[in-house]
Amino acid sequence: MSPILEIVGYTLEYRTHGGTRRVLDDVALAIGAGEVLGLVGESGSGKSSLAWAITRHLPRNAREVAGSLRLDGADLRAMTAREIRSVRGRRIGMVFQDPASALNPTLTLGRQVTEVLELHRGLSPADARAAAIEALNHVGLHAPEALLARYPHEVSGGEKQRVVIAAAFASRPELIIFDEPTTALDVITGARILELFARLRAETKVAALYISHDLALVSRVADHVAVIHRGRIVEQDSGIDVFRAPREEYTQRLVAAVPRPERRLVDDAPRADILLAAEDIGVTYGRPRLFGRRQVAGNSGVSLQIHAGEILGVIGESGSGKSTLARALTGLVDFSGSVRDGTRRITKPKQMDRAYRDRVQIVFQHPDSSLNPRQRVHEILARPLRIARRQVSEIPRLLEQVRLPTAYASRYPHELSGGEKQRVAIARAFASRPALVICDEITAALDVSVQHAIMELLLELRRAQGTSYLFITHDLNLVRQIAHRLAVMRRGALVDLLPVEALSAHADPAALHPYTRELIAATPTPVG
Amino acid sequence: MIDLARRLLRTPQGLVGSALILLLAITCVLGPALAPLDPEAIDFLGRYAPPGSAHLLGADQLGRDVLSRLLVGARDTLPLALAATLLGTMSGALLGTLSAYLSGRWDEAIMRTIDAVMAVPGLLLALLVVATLGAGELNAALAIAIAFAPGMARITRSVALAARRMDYVNAAIARGEGGGWIVFREMLPNVAAPVVIETTIRVAFAVMLFATLSFLGLGAQPPASDWGLMIAEARPYLHQAPWVTIAPGAAIALTAIGFNLLGDGLRDAMNPRDER
Amino acid sequence: MTAAWFARRCLLIVYTLLVVSLVVFGITQVLPADAAVTLLGENATPAALAAVRTQLGLNDPAWLQYLHWLGRLLRGDLGISMRTSQPVAETMFVALSRSLLLAILALVLMLIVAVPLGLAAALRRGRAADLVVGLISYLGVSLPEFVTATLLLLLLADWLGWLPATGYVPLTQDPLDCLRHLALPVLTVAVVLVAHVSRMVRSETIDVLHSDYIRAARLKGLPPHTVLLRHALRNALLPVVTIVALDVGYLLGGIIVVEEIFAIPGIGRQLIVAIQTRDLPAIQAGALIMAATYAIANFLADCVYAVLDRRIRYD
Repeated sequence: MSPILEIVGYTLEYRTHGGTRRVLDDVALAIGAGEVLGLVGESGSGKSSLAWAITRHLPRNAREVAGSLRLDGADLRAMTAREIRSVRGRRIGMVFQDPASALNPTLTLGRQVTEVLELHRGLSPADARAAAIEALNHVGLHAPEALLARYPHEVSGGEKQRVVIAAAFASRPELIIFDEPTTALDVITGARILELFARLRAETKVAALYISHDLALVSRVADHVAVIHRGRIVEQDSGIDVFRAPREEYTQRLVAAVPRPERRLVDDAPRADILLAAEDIGVTYGRPRLFGRRQVAGNSGVSLQIHAGEILGVIGESGSGKSTLARALTGLVDFSGSVRDGTRRITKPKQMDRAYRDRVQIVFQHPDSSLNPRQRVHEILARPLRIARRQVSEIPRLLEQVRLPTAYASRYPHELSGGEKQRVAIARAFASRPALVICDEITAALDVSVQHAIMELLLELRRAQGTSYLFITHDLNLVRQIAHRLAVMRRGALVDLLPVEALSAHADPAALHPYTRELIAATPTPVG
Repeated sequence: MIDLARRLLRTPQGLVGSALILLLAITCVLGPALAPLDPEAIDFLGRYAPPGSAHLLGADQLGRDVLSRLLVGARDTLPLALAATLLGTMSGALLGTLSAYLSGRWDEAIMRTIDAVMAVPGLLLALLVVATLGAGELNAALAIAIAFAPGMARITRSVALAARRMDYVNAAIARGEGGGWIVFREMLPNVAAPVVIETTIRVAFAVMLFATLSFLGLGAQPPASDWGLMIAEARPYLHQAPWVTIAPGAAIALTAIGFNLLGDGLRDAMNPRDER
Repeated sequence: MTAAWFARRCLLIVYTLLVVSLVVFGITQVLPADAAVTLLGENATPAALAAVRTQLGLNDPAWLQYLHWLGRLLRGDLGISMRTSQPVAETMFVALSRSLLLAILALVLMLIVAVPLGLAAALRRGRAADLVVGLISYLGVSLPEFVTATLLLLLLADWLGWLPATGYVPLTQDPLDCLRHLALPVLTVAVVLVAHVSRMVRSETIDVLHSDYIRAARLKGLPPHTVLLRHALRNALLPVVTIVALDVGYLLGGIIVVEEIFAIPGIGRQLIVAIQTRDLPAIQAGALIMAATYAIANFLADCVYAVLDRRIRYD
């Protein structure tokens, strides 16, 4: 059977001010009807460019140097603009990463589905409406008739993505391209979307190209996996084989970097004494206005204790309040309840004195915004050192500790990569030799291999200095590798607080909160 | 600094803008020396002389050389406009940054009030101030400064708010930095760039506003050769000697264009990461 | 658009008008300069100065003066003109009606020209048409109104003789002639507005055309005109409402200048005359009315925007 999508020897370059950049190099792959090919690559690998090449949506400075792209035998490169328009949406569908930005905010959801039906299936408006209702029903949305009249901002992220999928499947295309469709969604919502996709795929026998950075997820979703690195397909095999027996060095590194919950990286035990305790912490958000205050509950009554030498993981989806907790503990927001530091009881951020600040430090999620772009690395590190009454001469040692060359001290943040910026942020946090470092989703914005290196760094620092961590993340697999205990948060409340062994397959699931169980079930564990 | 200048001159707007401003600066400093004739020399016989060998840009209704008046007039028009803009900007920027740092109720109260003050359009506000203080170039400059301050406060505030939300400010708070350090060392350097750009563009406005006030008889007074004043005085004789109007008009336009271009060039130069 | 939102907006505009009245009053009556001296000149006799001070109530403390003034204002009493000895209110509101005609004509002209111009420039970005439009906008923004006015006067009234140079003919008297006389002032004011708004429309449209949802629409296979008309236009034009409201401020400034140059007896002219004759009540009334008009225009724009953009639920 001939493949639906066939790419042979495809090479793509971009012409920029700085010269010509080769984005895709001699790419070859094939997808048959009913098959799913996962394309896995880190940022800058060129995976998205391939999607644009297939849908013929390349920027003006793109040059296709060689190769062919065929859709069921038809040469995509030879098509005229009109022919391409008739292929898009009708024969090739696309599902994007962020449904919030892929949907037009000023059109109803219904319109954005019916227009595809009217255009590609030639339905009349009345028939298109009926077909749209059926399509929305089919992707699992409740009350589809009411949904037709709603606007994107009125429905949740998961619902939006279902609408986008409905529109993509509505014209019964031969090929669908998924570009990181669950990255912008919560873990549980994302898992549901993947279930939906599996069902639709079985029903329609559509060929699918699934682009993602998440090797673990793709190995579960796709039949075949192609690993792409700097524009070249490094390895191509069935999902299971790529994971279990990677042949190429890059693939091996990638596979080694994927967090696996059963592979523990920390094997010691925390000490008994309590470092810090949060007692009934509550936070309310509300923009203070001249006429009253609109209250939005951030956190309600969170209590937990961190032991010396412990890694306490905090897991939850977006809006669960885990970052709010971090902000309360570092005095960035007002809170009710108290923080107990040794014998002292702190009820207001103002009461957090020098001693507290030296002991409790924080590293933030986004490397781009956590370093002041107008300060050199030297300045960024000097200030915390001086405040902690240490010597500025310690800067080279700090940089060495985070495995950065000492020459970096004279650089500006924009001259560093994302991973390097995070290292500087970590160095900054460690300047005062803190007893506790709060890590607020510090690797969420990084590639998986960079994440792996940062995690190693954190553990090394812990071995050297005995630091405790409050490790906040949404990645259950990652935190299960390092944490001693896990706190599960949902909608501002602490739902479960357990030793990490309680989550393993051998443990009794009844001891877990239903939400925790849901989280575990939704988290894709790597195959093999 | 040198790096910035190099980036600036690489953009077409930056290059042309800088060239124009340089030209203006030279005119301001050397104006009287460059003038071919005495700008105040009255010559009734040579009234309304069209542009020619004797008068390169023609002569006005009193026979004064237009080119000479133009060159000297730069001194009357530009420095005050510049000073007014700087004064308005600094006071506005301070207020805006303060408001952003205070946030909450104070921020909202200050901003609502500034919005309300901005309900009085710029020219109107300047007119009111001049109407009360009396006509004159210093009063006009002060009026412009007062008219600009609320707008700059608003812009500075929104930039400062964006900076306030950044995690490096949070990091500073988390290590116990005081308000002073945060405002001056963390926020202000990041606020400075957009403010400098906006200020440069505002100078163009100030020049036009100053000329307008002079035109209405409320700014520079005769016999100054302020460009706006020149156009006002030439109004009755528009038909006979249009060049007396066109020359200063072109000068004002070139000045405004120069500062606008410079501002655009600075905007591109100050964001090195935007290599689109 | 909820009732609470509307109520809050109304409260805001009341606050705005209050502050505006404070600003106007503050500047004209409370500044260090002695209002009496400003009115009568440096050489006035002490007796005359004292008489004026009593007449204007300048001997009372500032806040009391303000309250008296505000009270009179709320009763509709804008004072008696020192120049004509007539009630200011009547003169000002008649003048306002003439200015409003000018303003509305200018706004309509601006919308008709600027929006298509901005759209065209965005669609032909980087090409000749875009650069030409950009150049003209730059020029428009760099010329003060009085220069534009004078140049247009020179061109259209003097050299070509198509339009009358100055003067005003009431609409009710002769509509066509009225429009002929208003043509030059309207054109002058419109130049700056067109330059501004077309630039804004262009950059908004470019942003919209680069957005993810437009890309998604294109990848659905929708033809280009559908993408533009159904998907892009609404998003691009929504901010125009806000921009137009902001430009009313420039419009008012421009009106003052053009009414002076073209001798249109509108509120701008009244204000200039009042300033030149140091007629304090007229100055205050004129300034107040103009500022109030701007505040109300912004308020209306906010309401229109809220109706059009369904995302505005709360403030």
